[in-house]
Amino acid sequence: MKHSIQHYTTAPLLMFALLLIQSCDRNFDEINTNPDAVSKATPQYIFSKAQYDGVRYSGNTQALLLGTMQYTTSYNDVAGFGSKYVASQGAQSASVFNLSYPTQINEIGEVIKAVKDDPSQVNLYAVARIWRVFCFSRLTDLYGDIPYTEAGQGYNQSVFQPVYDTQQSIYADMLKELEEAAQSFDASNATTFGSADQIYSGSPAQWKKFAYSLMLRLGMRMTKVDASNAQAWVTKAIAGGVILDAADIAKMSYVGSGQDINKNPVALSMLNDDYIKADGFSNTEGGKYQQVFIDSLKSNNDPRLPVIAVVYVNGVADDSPAIQKGMPSNISGGKPADFVTYSEPKQTTVLRIAAPVLLFTTAESYFLLAEAALRNWYSGATADVLYEKAIREAMQQWDLISGVSGTIASDDIDTYVAAHQFTGSTFDEQLEQIYTQFWFSIFPDAQEVFANYRRTGYPALVPNNYPGNATGGKIFRRFLYPVSEQTLNSISYAAAINRQGADDFLTRIWWDKE
Amino acid sequence: MKQFDSHLLRGFFLLVIALNLSPQCFGQHYANAYSARREPQQENQRATIPFEDGNISLKDALDQIRTRYHVKFAYREGLLNDKSISLSLLDYSTYTLEELLEKVLAGARLSYKRINKRQYSIFSDRTEKTGVYPETEESEVQEESSQTEAMIPLLKISGTVTAKDDGLPLPGVNVLLKGTANGTTTDAEGKYILTIPDEGGILVFSFIGYAIQEVPVSTQTTVDVSMEQEIQSLNEVVVTALGIEKEKTSVAYSVTEVKGEEFTQARENNVANSLTGKIAGVNATGISTGPGGSSRVVIRGNGSVTGNSQPLYVINGMPIDNSVPGGSATPNGITSNVDRGDGIAAINPDDIESITVLKGGTAAALYGSRGANGVILITTKKGRAQKGIGIEYNSTYTLEKISVFPDFQYEYGQGDGGVMPTTLAQAQATGRRSFGAKINGSTDYVAADGKNHPYTAQKDNLKNFYQTGSTFTNTLAFAGGNEAILYRLSLADLDSKSILPNSTYNRKTANLNISAKLSDRLRVESVVQYSLESANNRASAGDALANPNWTPYEVANTVDVRWLSPGYDAKGNEVIWNDAAIASNSYFVVNKFKESDSKNRFIGQASIAYDILKNLTVKGIITRDFYNYNYSNILPTGTLYTPLGEYAGIKSDVSETNAMITASYKTTVAEHFGISVLAGANGRKFENRQVNFSGKNYIQPYFYSFTNLATSSAIPYTGRITTNSVFGSVDLDYKSLIFLTATGRQDWFSTLSMKNNSIFYPSIGTSFVLSDAVSLPRVFSMARIRASWAQVGGGGPDPYAINLTYSSVPSASSVPLQNVTTQSDGTTAITNINLKPFTSTTTELGFNLQMLDNRLGLDFTVYNRRTTDDIVRVPISNTSGYNYAILNSGRLDNKGIEVLLTATPVKTPNFTWNTSYNVAYNKSEVLKLADGISTSSLGNSANGNAYINNNVGHTYGAIYGYRMLRDDQGRIVFDTNSGLPAQTDINQELGKGVPPLTMGFSNDFRYKNFSLNFLVDGKFGNKVFSVMEVYATRLGLLKSTLAGREDGLVLTGVTKTGDSFSRTIPVSNLRSDYYNTLNRYTELFVHDASFVKLRQVIFTYHIPVSKLKFLRMQSASIAFVGRNLLTLYKKTDNFDPEQSLTNGPAQGIESIGLPRTRSYGINLMLKF
Repeated sequence: MKHSIQHYTTAPLLMFALLLIQSCDRNFDEINTNPDAVSKATPQYIFSKAQYDGVRYSGNTQALLLGTMQYTTSYNDVAGFGSKYVASQGAQSASVFNLSYPTQINEIGEVIKAVKDDPSQVNLYAVARIWRVFCFSRLTDLYGDIPYTEAGQGYNQSVFQPVYDTQQSIYADMLKELEEAAQSFDASNATTFGSADQIYSGSPAQWKKFAYSLMLRLGMRMTKVDASNAQAWVTKAIAGGVILDAADIAKMSYVGSGQDINKNPVALSMLNDDYIKADGFSNTEGGKYQQVFIDSLKSNNDPRLPVIAVVYVNGVADDSPAIQKGMPSNISGGKPADFVTYSEPKQTTVLRIAAPVLLFTTAESYFLLAEAALRNWYSGATADVLYEKAIREAMQQWDLISGVSGTIASDDIDTYVAAHQFTGSTFDEQLEQIYTQFWFSIFPDAQEVFANYRRTGYPALVPNNYPGNATGGKIFRRFLYPVSEQTLNSISYAAAINRQGADDFLTRIWWDKE
Repeated sequence: MKQFDSHLLRGFFLLVIALNLSPQCFGQHYANAYSARREPQQENQRATIPFEDGNISLKDALDQIRTRYHVKFAYREGLLNDKSISLSLLDYSTYTLEELLEKVLAGARLSYKRINKRQYSIFSDRTEKTGVYPETEESEVQEESSQTEAMIPLLKISGTVTAKDDGLPLPGVNVLLKGTANGTTTDAEGKYILTIPDEGGILVFSFIGYAIQEVPVSTQTTVDVSMEQEIQSLNEVVVTALGIEKEKTSVAYSVTEVKGEEFTQARENNVANSLTGKIAGVNATGISTGPGGSSRVVIRGNGSVTGNSQPLYVINGMPIDNSVPGGSATPNGITSNVDRGDGIAAINPDDIESITVLKGGTAAALYGSRGANGVILITTKKGRAQKGIGIEYNSTYTLEKISVFPDFQYEYGQGDGGVMPTTLAQAQATGRRSFGAKINGSTDYVAADGKNHPYTAQKDNLKNFYQTGSTFTNTLAFAGGNEAILYRLSLADLDSKSILPNSTYNRKTANLNISAKLSDRLRVESVVQYSLESANNRASAGDALANPNWTPYEVANTVDVRWLSPGYDAKGNEVIWNDAAIASNSYFVVNKFKESDSKNRFIGQASIAYDILKNLTVKGIITRDFYNYNYSNILPTGTLYTPLGEYAGIKSDVSETNAMITASYKTTVAEHFGISVLAGANGRKFENRQVNFSGKNYIQPYFYSFTNLATSSAIPYTGRITTNSVFGSVDLDYKSLIFLTATGRQDWFSTLSMKNNSIFYPSIGTSFVLSDAVSLPRVFSMARIRASWAQVGGGGPDPYAINLTYSSVPSASSVPLQNVTTQSDGTTAITNINLKPFTSTTTELGFNLQMLDNRLGLDFTVYNRRTTDDIVRVPISNTSGYNYAILNSGRLDNKGIEVLLTATPVKTPNFTWNTSYNVAYNKSEVLKLADGISTSSLGNSANGNAYINNNVGHTYGAIYGYRMLRDDQGRIVFDTNSGLPAQTDINQELGKGVPPLTMGFSNDFRYKNFSLNFLVDGKFGNKVFSVMEVYATRLGLLKSTLAGREDGLVLTGVTKTGDSFSRTIPVSNLRSDYYNTLNRYTELFVHDASFVKLRQVIFTYHIPVSKLKFLRMQSASIAFVGRNLLTLYKKTDNFDPEQSLTNGPAQGIESIGLPRTRSYGINLMLKF
């Protein structure tokens, strides 16, 4: 009996167990395969995404630098951080850092990983390197020391707490990268990013110009901190050939429909924050053009004023210069009764979601060359010629933004140029002229204006001393790192703070030497 | 093949044990054990004095047998007098208990009858021949009548036996004339007839799980008995893993059972919430999200650093899905951040027979990877054999009202800079600011509605905005059956109106349970439940946008919130009430936002059990829990913050399918050894097919369809998990004195790489009944010690965590876009091919004492639970290129003590008082996250003012944030740029988010037909960060913002260089320059969250239906019920300390959720 019990007990059990164990992990691979994803990266597709993301996340929002550079403001403290520097909203400034690394930085790294070792893709590699410099340069200019060499290596090398590189070393590497990339293009190799490149359709010649233009920009950044090095790189950039022809302007193209990613991000963020109703009144975050900007344009009879600004009169956009009026940035206590009478961006230009974002314009090249000429680092033309050329180019680039030619009549441009001669007698006066015009011209790329403001002190903006501000009524010099870095990357963060100074709005970054 | 071998080996581990534990093998073990125990037994014998002729008294002999075999004897007094037997008859080694009894009793012309496993009655042979009837119920009555004629004089007694708790008839109750073997059992309707000698006697009624009752009979012919459940009965049976029933004494771990009726009177919509305070070590938290919301239950501390720490819910032995569709709400989300309800919310409390909580470790070991956080076993009601159809009707109507109101300041009213608004523009600008003039009744005051109002304090805004909520629940159940088939069908409807206007929740359930005995050997059972849950306008919470609670809490204190009603203009657009559009007008939210969801759910089980041999049963069971879910959340056209509107939707099909087969074998060897062996296999398939819809900008205004969006995307997600398992257990029982349980389970996970995809989980436990082994002082009725050790674990709960993949990004451009595949929340995580299953090891020791005839009980448990190789989704620096890394290195400790005291201080026929007190302390410590990583964040408040982090070396889920920087002397250090106190770094630990100490105190009074039950519970030692107070400070509502209102505020401290610092903030800038910036100092808003609450009151009148026979009712009761009636102790001035918003792991943040409520009402129960 005992034996038979044993027999009966175990036989079926053995059978169940056998059945199960044989199939215990069958099909597991298939079950654990995501049907909505692929396992292999396509560098072209990721590069397109990296371009979108590299442009999309920037300081060019009303809540940040558009406000700080006094183009816009808001009666609302929260949205008005950029123009009011309120302490309670300081953490907003970390957003660019937070958004950039997992997107543009990681994506361009994936692209480089995929094409780097394939000689046939040399032109793709060069383009990716240049784009990487563009992305990093925008980040370091806002924050100072940032993770660079170890950044974006979470998956490849399991680096979860990247060290912060000094801005000095980042600049040195970025300039080296630009030079190497520019020189590595192989004109005989027809393999490019092609249509995946939404800036130049893969054209090596144009990317080369963009590389040298960035070199010019970054070289010029160092004038305060290391003039001789600045000169060396500026000279090299000019020799390499920068963007001087409107056809070569580095501009990111947008479809203007479909998903948000397909829309001009500067316009989209302004629309979403404030202007989507286009009635001059329902502005969600209380945004308007700032008084300083509109007053300056008006007093200069700037033909751009009707191109960029409107006032809603009975619900209809009116771009008559006479009625344009900017909102003061010191309003506290809510929506002013005359809110609707203040100017705001024009829907068909500044807010056009199909408009390209201009990343590097001929205007910028000429303004930088004008400064180089002033410094005797460039002798191709005199500063006054370059200055005038810059102003003309800047006016004409509104054709690109508005999508129609002749947005600003050439007569108006002539009149303006005639009224704005390069009259400064001292270097400083001339520099002020250049970077005041730069302020008008480069709008809405406030981030580039902010960089040159810190370097040159121009335009001579009067800071807003708003109650509860974080800076004691000074325009801040940098953005704050995300607080998550204090926790998740504490050692690297502490080292950066030690070196650079407190994680504070007024701490100056390397090239912004006092 | 090598892989296969090792699986095979491990998988068969238990089968091999089964083979080795053959009866023969046991026989030898027993013999050894017995000889080892012989000495003390002989010593015992010396206590009895043998007669000179080598005889001993029969009484002494039976005493010896009693202690040796741990059985009890019942006999008529005097029956054993003057009887003796030869001592030589007491040869224990050769005979079984029953053989021995036969031998010992034969000489005295006595017989015995086995009442149950541990009770025998002894009677004289003569009686037996005349009085005992065959046990078959059918023939009983007939034989009785024939006997009646034979026996003269005789007394014929009949009656009905019912259960006291529910009034239902009890079939199968033993009825015995005391001191004789004359007895019978009750039939299916609880009726019996017994004929006894005319002289009368005492009738003994006994039934497993009920207290024995003795009723003297002399002349009466009807004896109806109502049997009372014996909670502390030694024979109490508990349901354990896989639905296996075990005697409580045999269980090697702490296990707690709560009867269904505790949930059906004072009910919570979500039955899991009603576990609060009832069980030591179980921390159940209701969420402040209104009816239909989810619950968070954590047993013995959070077991996983970043993963799920909630228990597995099991219905009738098979798991169900408890996920929240689309994920839990977060403390900082906006718009679509609603609590969509969890899986357990679909269960109707009226269908629950009992809930057993397996607190983890050994208890849950048979569930392997899914038992790591404990298991909540729900046994549903079955039919009962009875004549006709039994009908039960249970109806509850409760009302809900806000229980806690903020203690705001009412000295200074709406305005800013000490100025009262006198124009509409000023009123709109300061709609949520209370930094105005001194409240003086001025009639110049203009509010955001543009009208003049007296400038007076408005203290009732919560009462004015919210309504009285109500819940009406009706359950109708039909039950019945016969020997062959039992059935129960219940239909229930729950209709709930939130305190939030326009917010409703409805749940309909139909539950059918059929079990049938097809032959002596074949049984089938099927449970089918269909439920339909639908909710409208569940409250969103977290940050301001779309949060309907924002306005009533934060509106300026001289505004009657009703002035802002209806919140929209003639076109239907939101009306401005304050300076920030993101702070929605709550009336607009309530009236125009449209949230709706519905969940169609089917839970089906079918099982078949076949007895191959008498003791060998094979059982197959298949279950499927399936639901489809539709959710849409419409942010309407005309919302100030998003004028063109937004849309969010989820459509998902989720299923959890389990197929299990088990074989169990039970035997007794050499009389004293009970062995039961179980082996089985389980296959589990989980699937979630989901599409997330999102879009914005309605093309045609005010028309809310996914087709009408300017920008939209529909992103599919498919998650599939398969887990296959084999398992087995061996239970040994020696004389019901010592018990040993060993289990093992091997799981294979589809979510892990083939190299690392399986793990073996063993457990072992023992229970020792000390009171039967040694003789303890009389005061102890029972003493038992238990110990266990177990490993359970889990295996990478999310699919696709091992390989990096790339997905397409929706785009209108002709250029394809691809990115590293992001998680559903838009973040990216570094995958990890080397992931392996994690392990949670629990060691548990405990004892159980019953004293003073079971009137006083003590249950004590101490445990240590360590999670190793925890799979953590740890946030990493974004600069790595990713938001998270999935690592396999977490280590977490939970150590704790649980104490349960039960007592019956008063017990008289008319009045009883039962009381129980449970207390549990759990200490958690995060030992490791990953190399070089010391912090992982579980969540944060809106604006990042407070974080809930796991920091290595600290407790699980603590609150972190900023303090004001202070120097050595405690002086505040000021930043001279801003003129504000400097912040410390953000890593300041400000308190525990999870209460370490929990307790419950329950009392049950019964007086005649009345009973009163109340439960007081408390949680201690945790803190809570209040977002509501952050805003109430920035907006001037808190009393702490009164400083400086008259003459300005003087700030003094030191500068960073140590110089003294002083600054006066004028009244005009008091808000903007100071109070508005205080959100930077987290510590100011962290409060002690300890509380004691009167959680539950049930006052019942049991209608004496026996006196109202015409109603044909079996029982009826009406009760006043209340939940969360009073907060007896709390430290938060302005909100309920239980004001949590998410059922996710980030506990410890109050985030302007729906106010907590007290509920009270009437419950009616009728049984026909």
